[in-house]
Amino acid sequence: MNYLFILRMIKSSIGRKQIMAVSGILLSFFMLIHLAENLLLFKGEEWYNGWVNILLSNPLTIYLEIGLLILFLLHITTGVWVRIEDWVNSRKRKYENINWQGGRTLGSATMLYTAIALLIYLGFHMLHFRFTDHSMGFYQMVTSAFRSKLFVTIYIAGAVALALHLSHGFQSAFQTLGINHKKYNFYIKILSYAVGISMVAFAAISIYFLLGLDIKPEAEYNNVIETIIE
Amino acid sequence: MKLDSKIPSGHIEQKWDNYKFNAKLVNPANRKKFDVIIIGSGLAGASAAASLGEAGYNVMVFTIHDTPRRAHSIAAQGGINAAKNYKYDGDSVYRLFYDTLKGGDYRAREANVYRLAQISTQIIDHCVATGVPFAREYGGLLDTRSFGGAQLQRTFYARGQTGQQLLLGAYSQMMRQVANGSVKVFTRREMMDLVVKNGKARGIIARNLITGELESYSAHAVLLCTGGYSNVFYLSTNAATCNVSAAWACYKRGAGFANPCFTQIHPTCIPRSGQHQSKLTLMSESLRNDGRVWVPKNKGDKRNPNDIPEEERDYYLERMYPSFGNLVPRDIASRAAKKMIDEGRGVGPTGEAVYLDFKDAIKKQGKEKIKEKYGNLFDMYYRITDEDAYSVPMRIYPAPHYTMGGLWVDYELMSTIPGLFVLGEANFSDHGANRLGASALMQGLSDGYFVISTTLPNYLASTKFEDAKIEDEEFKNSKNEIKNKINKILSIKGNKTPTEIHRELGNIMWEYCGMSRTEEGLKKALASVPKLKEEFWENLKMVGGEDFNQTLEKALRVADFLEFAELLLKDALNRKESCGGHFREESKTVDGEARRDDESFSYVAVWEYKGEKKEPELNKEKLEFEYLKPTTRSYK
Amino acid sequence: MENKKFNITLRVWKQKSEDSKGRFETYNVEGIIPEMSFLEMLDVLNEKLIKEGKEPVYVESDCREGICGCCGFVINGDVHGPDEHSTVCQLHMRRFKEGDVVTIEPFRAKAFPLIRDLVIDRGALDKIITAGGYISVNVGSAPDANTIPVDKNTAEKAMDYATCIGCGACVAACPNSAAMLFTGAKISHLASLPQGHPERTKRVLNMIKIMDSLGFGNCSNEYECEAVCPKEIKISAIAKMNREFLKANFLSEEDPDLPPVFHQSTVDVPEDE
Repeated sequence: MNYLFILRMIKSSIGRKQIMAVSGILLSFFMLIHLAENLLLFKGEEWYNGWVNILLSNPLTIYLEIGLLILFLLHITTGVWVRIEDWVNSRKRKYENINWQGGRTLGSATMLYTAIALLIYLGFHMLHFRFTDHSMGFYQMVTSAFRSKLFVTIYIAGAVALALHLSHGFQSAFQTLGINHKKYNFYIKILSYAVGISMVAFAAISIYFLLGLDIKPEAEYNNVIETIIE
Repeated sequence: MKLDSKIPSGHIEQKWDNYKFNAKLVNPANRKKFDVIIIGSGLAGASAAASLGEAGYNVMVFTIHDTPRRAHSIAAQGGINAAKNYKYDGDSVYRLFYDTLKGGDYRAREANVYRLAQISTQIIDHCVATGVPFAREYGGLLDTRSFGGAQLQRTFYARGQTGQQLLLGAYSQMMRQVANGSVKVFTRREMMDLVVKNGKARGIIARNLITGELESYSAHAVLLCTGGYSNVFYLSTNAATCNVSAAWACYKRGAGFANPCFTQIHPTCIPRSGQHQSKLTLMSESLRNDGRVWVPKNKGDKRNPNDIPEEERDYYLERMYPSFGNLVPRDIASRAAKKMIDEGRGVGPTGEAVYLDFKDAIKKQGKEKIKEKYGNLFDMYYRITDEDAYSVPMRIYPAPHYTMGGLWVDYELMSTIPGLFVLGEANFSDHGANRLGASALMQGLSDGYFVISTTLPNYLASTKFEDAKIEDEEFKNSKNEIKNKINKILSIKGNKTPTEIHRELGNIMWEYCGMSRTEEGLKKALASVPKLKEEFWENLKMVGGEDFNQTLEKALRVADFLEFAELLLKDALNRKESCGGHFREESKTVDGEARRDDESFSYVAVWEYKGEKKEPELNKEKLEFEYLKPTTRSYK
Repeated sequence: MENKKFNITLRVWKQKSEDSKGRFETYNVEGIIPEMSFLEMLDVLNEKLIKEGKEPVYVESDCREGICGCCGFVINGDVHGPDEHSTVCQLHMRRFKEGDVVTIEPFRAKAFPLIRDLVIDRGALDKIITAGGYISVNVGSAPDANTIPVDKNTAEKAMDYATCIGCGACVAACPNSAAMLFTGAKISHLASLPQGHPERTKRVLNMIKIMDSLGFGNCSNEYECEAVCPKEIKISAIAKMNREFLKANFLSEEDPDLPPVFHQSTVDVPEDE
C-alpha cells in the first residue's frame, strides 16, 4: 500500500539511516540553539532567567519539547536498531589485523561509545536540570551546580562526547541523505567539525563557573576558591 | 565425418534473412519444455543465456568460477567493431566483411563472416540499450577509434575496459533472466564430459569443484561457450583457468576440431621477467594508435632508450609497412618483432622485447590526453614493471592470445554432433587464420545474442527427441569413466607437479609451434609431447582428495592439454602454407613475408577423433569464395 | 636490473571450511625475486608444498591482470595488499624485503562464507544484481545506438561506477561489512544513464531489499570501502543510491514487487543456483 511508504522506509537499512540522519541534523540544530541559550549565562542572571521565563510563558514550548522528545526517540531507536543489526551481521571471526585507511576518524570509530555516553548523560542532565526543583531560580540552579567538580567533570565529558559524535555524525548525515557533491563536500566537512567543536563551549561554560570567573569582587572570588578547595 | 556447412541460398546479403525466413520456430508456449545447457558464462555464454532466457527456454548455465562475471571476456581491453559508419569514413557492412575475411587470410567461410558484419550494428544498439557506458563525444553521440588492421574508425570502446563492460552488460542481462526464473546459474562447476545419446548431445557431466561430486544434467541441446586454448602454451594472455577440456571432451565424443593450428600471437604484451612467470599481461592494441614501435639500429645497444638518438632508432613497422605503419595486423606485428629480436636487436634485460614509444604522441597531444585514453594501461604497466611509460618507452613482446581454431560448426553454429552448438572463441568459424583486433567481442555477442536465438529453435523444432534421463546408461557410463580418470590421476605417485608439466609443454609448444613453425621443429615437438604425456601419467605428484582440490583441477586440465597439443602440432604440420597466425618457414616470399597456398590449402582442416591410440582423421571443408576473390594480404 | 633473491616468512590463514576452526600457519618462502607478483610467490610456495606432499594454500585468482575480481585477501592488515587501489594480483614482491613477516587473511564477512583457506563465496553479490542490476530490454528491440545522446560527462561518470569488478574488497574493508559501495555502484551506473531511468524506482528498492536480507551491515560513512576499491569507485555512488532511495520512497507512486525468483522459494533469498 502506497501510504505505508514510511513503514517501508523503517524496514530498509538505508531508510532507517535516513531517519537517523534527519533527526540527527535537527537535533544538531537544537544543540546549537541550546548552546546559544546557555551562552546567556555569561550575560548574568537577569538575561538568563529572562529568557527562561519567555520560554516557560510560551504555550508552544511544551509542543516543542514533545517534538524534541520524538526526535530523540527516533534518533535513539534507529541508532540502536542499526547497531543491533550491525552486531548481528558482524564478522564471525575478526581480522587479526586490519588497517583503516579511509575516512575512519576518532569521531566515527567511537560513535557507539559516544552515543552510549550521551544517552547516560542525557538521563543525568534531565534529572539534574529538567525534572528537579526549580524554586531557587534557573540561573542559581545552573551556576551552583557548576561549582561542583563532580558535576563539571560530567558536563565536560558530555560536551566532549557530543563534540566527537557530531564531528562525524553531522557530515555523515549529509552523505546518508545523498548530499555529496565535489564542490561542497569540503565545506560540509568543515561545517561538521565546526559544529562538533562548538559543542566544547558547553564545557567552557561549566569551567567558567567552576573557576568562579562570574564573581567579580576579589574577596568573594577567594571565598569561592576556598569552597572549591574544601 | 559429414561436413555440411548448411549455407543458405541466395545472394550473400540475403542469406541470413533467407535463413531466418526458412527456420522453424518454437511456439512460445512450448519453449519452457526445452532444456538448454550452456557451458561458460563469458560474452557468448552469458548473451546466449540472456537471449534464450528472454525467449522462454529453460536454460542452465555452468561456470567454473564463483560468479559468472569472472569469465575471461572481461579482460578484453580495446573495443568492439561495428559497421555503423558513424564517423562517415567509408565504412559499410560489406567493408567490415571484406576486412574480416581478408584479415583472416581467406580461411573463413564467407557467409558466416558476412552475417557477423551484418549483425555488428545491432550489437552496438543492444549494448547501449542495456546500459554499456561506451565512450562518447562532447555532442553526446558514440565515439569510435581505429584499431589494428583497419584504416577507418569503427571500433567502439569503453576506456581500456570494453570487454569488461560488454561482459557485465551480458551478465546483467543473464541475471535478469535468472530473476525471471528462466535461467539457472550453476557456479563452480566444470564440465567433464558431453553425454551423447542416439547420436544427439543430450547432457553433460559436471564436477562440482567444491564438493568434488560428479553431477549429471540432461537437456535438449548443449551450447559450448568455453573460449580458447591459448593456455596450451602455458604462458599466454589467458586467465589461469582457461582450458581446452570441455571442447576436448566434445571432440572425443565426435565433434570435429577445426584448424587448431590457427593461434594468434598478440604483439603488445608485457615481456616476461623470469621462470616464475605465471601469465603474460596484454597491453591493448589500441596503444599502437599513438605509440611508435622501435628497436635500436645497432645490435646489442644496451643504452637507456631515452639516450638513443632518433637517427639510431629503427621504427621498423613504419619502415617495412609504410601504409599501415604501426597499425599492421597482429600476426604481422608479432613476426616483425620476432625478426628484430632474432637479429639481436631486442631490448630490456632479457633482450626479448621491443619498445613502444609515446614520446611523440605526448609531445603532440599532451600527457593529459594520453592519460585519458590509456591511463589504466599505463598504470597497469607501472604496477607490473615499476616503470613510468610516460617518461620511458614501454617494453613489449608478443604472446599467445587468441585461438581462431576451435570446434567445427556449420552456419547454425552446430558442431558435427547434432544438438551440440559451439559459440564464441570456442568455435572456428569467423576469423579464419587470423583475427582482427576488436572482432572477438563482436563475434561472441553476435553468436550469443543474435545467431543462436534464431538457429537453436530451428534445431529444436525440427528434431524428434527421445527421452534422456540422467539415470540412463550413457550418463552412468560417462560418469564412471570420469571417476576412473580422477582416481587414476590421484593415485599417481611421482615427482612433478601439474604446473611443472604444463610449463614444459608450454616450452615445447612455444619453441616449435609459436610464432613461426618448421616441419623439422613440429616433428621434434610431435616426438616430445607424447613422452611428456607419458611422464604425466607416471610421474605426477598429487596431493589432496576427490573434493575441493585445486591441484586435481589443474592436473585434469593439463592432461587434456597434453592430448590436445598433439592435435595442434599435427594440424600445423599438415598445413604446409603460411597463412594468418600460422607461419611456416618453408612457405615465405623472397622478402620474408608469409606465402599462402590457396591451391592446396583453401580448406578448413577438421580433425575427427578415432580412438585413444588411433590417428585422428583429417576431413576437409573446401572454402568457396564467391564474392571476395582471395588476394595476397599486403599491408605495405 | 639485478635479480636479488630474498626470503620472507609467510603467515597464512588455514581453514578447512566455514564451520571448522581456523588458524595461522607459518611458512618460509625462499628465493623470491622482486619482479615476482605476490600470487606468483604463492605459486612458488604451493609448488614446494605439493612436492613435499603437503596441502597447498587454497587461493583464488584468474586473470591476474586486475580485472576479473577473483583474487583478494588481506595482507598485513591491508585489503588487497599495500598498493593503493589495486588488486592482489597486481602486487609485486618488490614491495617486500628480506626477513619480512607477511600475514595473509581471507576477506572476512558474514555474507561471504569461507570455503577453504583464502577462498570465499561471494555469491551474495550476484543475488543483489539479480534483484535489479540491469535494464530490461530484449534482444533485437533496441533503437539505433545514437538515438539517445548522453553527454560526455554523464557517460564518463556512469563508466566510473560501472568499472566495479565485484571483488568484494569494499565489504571486506568495511567496519560493518556493508555492501553499499558495490550496490551503490551498480545503481549509480544505471541511474546515471537515460537508458536506466525507466526502472530506477524498482531497481533501487529491490536491490536494497535483497541486499538487506543477505547479512551485510549498514553504512557508517567511514569511507573505508572507497580507500581500498581497486577501481577507485567513489562513495558518491553510495550518496547517489541514497538519493535514489529517497526519491523512490517519497516521489514515486510505484510499489514494486520483487522479481519472480525471489518468490519461488519460501526463504527470502533463492538457493545458491
